[in-house]
Amino acid sequence: MKVTHFIVISIILFSGATLSGCAQIAPWERGNLAKSHMALDPNPLQSSIRGHIYGSREAAASINSAGGGGGCGCF
Amino acid sequence: MNAPHSAGLAQHSVDNPESRDSKVSLTSSRKTTLQALTSAALVLPGLLLSPAQGASPSNDSVSFQYNRYQEGKRNLYNVHSNLKPIMVDVVHGSGNFTFYDRVKFSFSYTQDTWSGATPVTTAPLVANGNRPILQDSPQGVITVGASPLVQTQVLLDQNLNPLRLIPEGGKVIDPRTVLILSSASPETRNQANFRLGYEWNEAAVNAGGGFSLENDYKSSYGNISGRLDFNQKLTSLKFGAGYTSSETSAILDPDLLPYVTRTAYANQIERRSGSEILRGDRQDWTANLGLTQVLGKGSLIDTNIGYTHSSGFMENPYKVMTVIFINPDTLNPGSNSSITGDARALLEQRPNIRNQLALSSKYVQHISPVDAALHLNYQFSFDDWGVNAHTFEADWVQPLSHGWTITPRIRYYSQDSADFYQPYLISNQAFRKTAIDASGRQVWVDVNDPNQQFFRNGNDNFFDANGNLVDATELNLRPQLVSFDAAKLPQNFSSDHRLSGFGSLSGGVVLNKRFTKGVELEAAFEYYARASSLKLGGNGQSSFADFDFYVANAAIKVDMEAINSRMNKETGHNHANHDHGPRHAHGAHSVPAGIMFGHMLDNPGELMVGYRFMYSRQAGDMLRGAHQASDLSIVNEGCSDITLCRFTHTEMNMKMHMLDIMYAPTRWLNLMIMPQFMDMDMNLRQLEGRPPPVPGVHEHTGTGGHTTGGVGDTILSSLIKLYEIPGHRLHAGLGISAPTGKVDLKMRRMFQVDGGLFHFDMQLGSGTWDFLPNLTYAGTSDRWYWGAQLYGVKRMERSNESGYRLGDIFQASTWGGYQLSNWLAASVRGIYTFRDRIHGDFNEFNARIGPMDFPANHGGQYWDIGIGVNASVPSGKFSGNHFAFEWVQPLRDDVNGFQLEREGALSATWHYSF
Amino acid sequence: MIKQANLLFAASLMFCLSVVSPVRAHLEGNTPPPHCQLSFLDGKLAEGWEAMKGEVVYVDFWASWCPPCVKSFPFMSQLTHEFKDKGLKVIAINLDESVEDAKEFLAKRPVNFPILIDASKQCAQDFGVIAMPSTYIIDKKGFVRHIHRGFRTGEAEELRRLIEQLLIEEI
Repeated sequence: MKVTHFIVISIILFSGATLSGCAQIAPWERGNLAKSHMALDPNPLQSSIRGHIYGSREAAASINSAGGGGGCGCF
Repeated sequence: MNAPHSAGLAQHSVDNPESRDSKVSLTSSRKTTLQALTSAALVLPGLLLSPAQGASPSNDSVSFQYNRYQEGKRNLYNVHSNLKPIMVDVVHGSGNFTFYDRVKFSFSYTQDTWSGATPVTTAPLVANGNRPILQDSPQGVITVGASPLVQTQVLLDQNLNPLRLIPEGGKVIDPRTVLILSSASPETRNQANFRLGYEWNEAAVNAGGGFSLENDYKSSYGNISGRLDFNQKLTSLKFGAGYTSSETSAILDPDLLPYVTRTAYANQIERRSGSEILRGDRQDWTANLGLTQVLGKGSLIDTNIGYTHSSGFMENPYKVMTVIFINPDTLNPGSNSSITGDARALLEQRPNIRNQLALSSKYVQHISPVDAALHLNYQFSFDDWGVNAHTFEADWVQPLSHGWTITPRIRYYSQDSADFYQPYLISNQAFRKTAIDASGRQVWVDVNDPNQQFFRNGNDNFFDANGNLVDATELNLRPQLVSFDAAKLPQNFSSDHRLSGFGSLSGGVVLNKRFTKGVELEAAFEYYARASSLKLGGNGQSSFADFDFYVANAAIKVDMEAINSRMNKETGHNHANHDHGPRHAHGAHSVPAGIMFGHMLDNPGELMVGYRFMYSRQAGDMLRGAHQASDLSIVNEGCSDITLCRFTHTEMNMKMHMLDIMYAPTRWLNLMIMPQFMDMDMNLRQLEGRPPPVPGVHEHTGTGGHTTGGVGDTILSSLIKLYEIPGHRLHAGLGISAPTGKVDLKMRRMFQVDGGLFHFDMQLGSGTWDFLPNLTYAGTSDRWYWGAQLYGVKRMERSNESGYRLGDIFQASTWGGYQLSNWLAASVRGIYTFRDRIHGDFNEFNARIGPMDFPANHGGQYWDIGIGVNASVPSGKFSGNHFAFEWVQPLRDDVNGFQLEREGALSATWHYSF
Repeated sequence: MIKQANLLFAASLMFCLSVVSPVRAHLEGNTPPPHCQLSFLDGKLAEGWEAMKGEVVYVDFWASWCPPCVKSFPFMSQLTHEFKDKGLKVIAINLDESVEDAKEFLAKRPVNFPILIDASKQCAQDFGVIAMPSTYIIDKKGFVRHIHRGFRTGEAEELRRLIEQLLIEEI
């Protein structure tokens, strides 16, 4: 029940990834990815407080998934 | 039948229980410091690794945020409780700065203050745990009831179902379980974080750390994290590790103490001045690994795995387990007779090790036709406590025109119960019974020498272990009692409903408005409902703990880079201008940090965002007028004719955070809004020569101090330029202060006595609408600057909702300063303050224990000197930032009545205008 | 079945990571820039690099949505202002997928250097642009002497020094 649940749901999410394969996106094709609402964490001001509140009311482990990646690909 | 039964979950058939009177004793509220419940007990700030700022570079920015968390009432069934549900006020400030190109620094500061009623244990409803609080007699302080409800008796049938007596006579099974609530005085937590990072073109590392401080819980942490980009940044690998060390030192509730069995923690409890302090240490190690992959021009996926290993004291020191002990002799399966269970409270016992693994994945898709972003998030976590949890979340981020963005969001969460969670336990043994030796004889002991055993023969004569008869009249013999066998209880148990199986559904919306000036406003609301029945697969079986809450917040974010680039754009054709242009002629705007309303913006359309921190401390001698007062004079004259003083404060600290937003619609008019957030703490001592305590009346002693905090009053003001020639300026301020701060904060009930309203100085605002007129003159010449201000506060109402009115204030100050360099200035200020006494008086119960509780002991005349420095960043990317500090040192106090001496005050301000 | 799918995913991820090591064009040094078909915003064709021999050329690839690109604009304005008369030519090649985005952006922030459009993105590909922004500095002889990726204030000063140096060089 535990891990299998996660795997099944992950696979549904990942199916998009596998289907699209390794589409090469050129550096100049990332206009949409650069938009702030496409950031992994679109509302960072909300995240910390929400994480704190959920964490104090629920027993789940938490990991921060907003560690970067995606975005405009700029240097 | 030796194993404890998980009551409340037991299946039962309704039979016809016989009637018997179950006299269940009642209780008061409990708990001194409950802070660990909301903040640190379950979530450790250090475990949330700081994000390695991603491929999208973070801008230099400053933000302020206010949050309100408000819980709904818990379901107590038939009991009408006047306890207020938990409410938390959170103030949060943060900043991100680029030190040099690739070196980034960020910090954040959070202060939360919370109060309200929280569950301490769970019990069968028939145990009447939540007794409505009886009102005190007109004389005030009398104790009501004696035994707390955590120690009570519960009637059970032979299948161990709780029985309820019904008015018509007889008993019915009542399987309902209920949370037992207790209220708390306000508690404050402070947390500070920092992070330093370095960025390469395709990698980043960060090191961070911080601490979280509460009265009873301290935590400090450090972490490192990093990111590696591959494949032209289409793929990013992220990793992090952190360590947190925490320390609990919880003052166990003196009300509850006599009724709580804490033998399991005997060697962790320290006794100090009548209090028992439970200490425990805890360590947490955490590591995570993540991968972000761009899938297409409008989609990306992010996966993370995180592992946390925790060891040490993970209990909530304020949670107890209700264990119903039943005498095995009274069990008679098949019969109709009922059993009387002996319900006792034991400090909860959680395992000392916890390993948690969390897996998360997030998918982000751009919805081109409407330029929206869909964020889908799923997380699964499991641990060796048996808590498997699933979180699903969907956000739709929709940009609208004119800089608006709206984000509706929905979240579903479900968790399994921890292996050791039980609402309450039933143990098939007596809590305490008379000792019987191996040969079946009852054991007696001498109270004065408990190691020597005695026995009784058939003639009621006592003899010792060697068979020699003894004279019982010379000894103080009692039957020896033995406590329950802890080995017959489970090794771990907790009735904390956050470890039960449940589900929750929440939804909300975030509204965001970006102004061209680089200022962003954000507001959000979220409603959350916990329901046992929402658990995945059903069978939550903890519906008695269902509750809901909402969170609302408002935030302002100032993006300095946007401002700088706008400045560049405006000066775009003035190419030689390297430093974003002159902002302020220095000196002209220097006023000491302690002066409010001293600065005006010059240019129409100009906006200023600022932050002001003020700290003041009272400690040292008690004063009467301008001289030191003896304890005896305070006892006899500090309070009233009928009540002598028993206590006085030894120290009082007040901290204020103020946000300062100022806008200049025209050259001669500025508008300001200044919300305030307060927190204060006070310590008390007994006065020498105080009247002895009245038997049966307990007094709150302030042991360990007490704190209050939250939103203070909000100031709205206008500044009007009256006169200006080069080097001289005169402006007037007309402001009002709106009573947004509470003046009805109460201490929790202790020893079954109402705590009553907090002292006047510990309330968060004035409670009245106040008028704030002021007049400021400022002059400059070359490197010198000087000025003077007259400042007043006039209360515009007769009394506030608690029946009193703070005194009016008049203050005059004058200062002179010198610009030491192009960025630094120093000043000296002289201050005279008159403050009237408090008028009116509390219209509700206040304990009246010392001079601070009497209106006549407030106000006076004060003389101070202030030493200040002002610093401003003249050029470069941080130009436009101004900092000021001032220490105000008291020179002379002439107080009304009896008051604690002032030690001084610190003001610190930051402002940024653009 | 779950295992297989998982494996498949892992394999495809590995594939993604391994296949795509960037093909960096080895332009830096004594190599002339690739030939490009560029046009002005109004559609007029721009002249080739050969026509700019004898000048130091600062070629910048940018897009309106790229924050560091936007940050670099004041620097390029300043370079143009200071060194135009001394033989520096700043050329900003826009790579926005929709030219309208670029026009909208420029309407709000007028610039003093020429903006060119690489409609087919062929020029960017030939230059081997792998990040935004990418800067190529071409010396008076017509060779690409320096490639710089990204834009940071401190590094911009290094670029300025290099340009000053290249401007002194004789052909």
